[in-house]
Amino acid sequence: MDIHTLEKRWIQLSITLLAAFAVLIGVAAYAFGFQVPRLEQRVRPEDVLNDPKWGKVRELEPGRTYEVYLISRTWQFQPRRIEIPRGAKVTFYVTSVDVQHGFKVMGTSISMQVLPGYVGVISYTFKEPGVYRFICTEYCGLAHAAMFGEIIVK
Amino acid sequence: MSRQVYYFMYGFLGLIFLGAVAFKVFQPIQVLPRIRLAPGFTLYDAQGNPVTSEDMRGRIALYGFWAARCRGCEQVLPTMTYVAKHLPEQPEWQAGDLDIAFVIIDVDPERDGPVLAEYTQRLRQETGQSWFFVTHPDVRYLKTVVGGGFEVFFAKQGDVVEVDPKYIIVDGWGIIRGEYAYQTIEPNHRRLLRHLNVLAQEIHNSKGAARVAYEAAHLFLCYAK
Repeated sequence: MDIHTLEKRWIQLSITLLAAFAVLIGVAAYAFGFQVPRLEQRVRPEDVLNDPKWGKVRELEPGRTYEVYLISRTWQFQPRRIEIPRGAKVTFYVTSVDVQHGFKVMGTSISMQVLPGYVGVISYTFKEPGVYRFICTEYCGLAHAAMFGEIIVK
Repeated sequence: MSRQVYYFMYGFLGLIFLGAVAFKVFQPIQVLPRIRLAPGFTLYDAQGNPVTSEDMRGRIALYGFWAARCRGCEQVLPTMTYVAKHLPEQPEWQAGDLDIAFVIIDVDPERDGPVLAEYTQRLRQETGQSWFFVTHPDVRYLKTVVGGGFEVFFAKQGDVVEVDPKYIIVDGWGIIRGEYAYQTIEPNHRRLLRHLNVLAQEIHNSKGAARVAYEAAHLFLCYAK
């Protein structure tokens, strides 16, 4: 089978690009800690509102390991203000009790879609002190722009 | 190189690719994931004897987190008792060549100290399995092991201890192979039994050439549901 030289170049370019993307994904995952938020479980929105752990920051190990059960609803996050010590690993469990929302922590690799009925999970270690804003990244109605919160790393 | 060599090369690579896809899709072998290393610990049983993570090396350990007066962990003992009783009926456990320890980490050492011995003896007699009820007098140390290591939340709330119900399977190399924090459609006791059977199957069969297939199952994330 004869393949035209230009066609060969395009095939080679396509294969090279695929390989490059695979390498880039690997570097992003292992060198920069980018993660695909995993689906932890399904949950009924009404159960979220009745479960006392939701809307809270919980300390697993003082100063080192924390988990945040974050509720997204129009148009607020609960809790809206999270305080954690520097160097702590925080696991975010995020769900919505109404419509689709987004959750992005500025200045970090945390970004995920938040769907009602599902719990998204992502972990991050806050090494630098400061104030990290988190925002809703999916348009969720009139006051979408007011849906934000902050993580204070001391 | 001649054209035939190219065809042979592409054909060979294509077969490998198709084989990999078929392995992933049909999952002829299923395994439990290697999640992370279990934490090291030195805890104490009712008699004050140290029980360490090293004592669990070489045997499978099923961990549960519990307090006599707790909110959230009410199902931990019944579930683990059911698993302990019915494990010998599982196909891979019938030979009786595998060792398993049922470890309950008590997170309320102040109050539960006296009852640990009674529970240990009762459950050993009732199930015929190896049970360890362990704790540590320093709650901060327990937080490090249970909260930081096993990632299980507990906190004292007035008269009760709030404990997240969670079961953890650790293999003989000290690697966490299963975490069960939620109730699913399949009750936890059945899921635990099924997964312990999958783990035992891997231990029995992952030898010689079959070991490569088991490693491939890990590589292609062929995890038991």
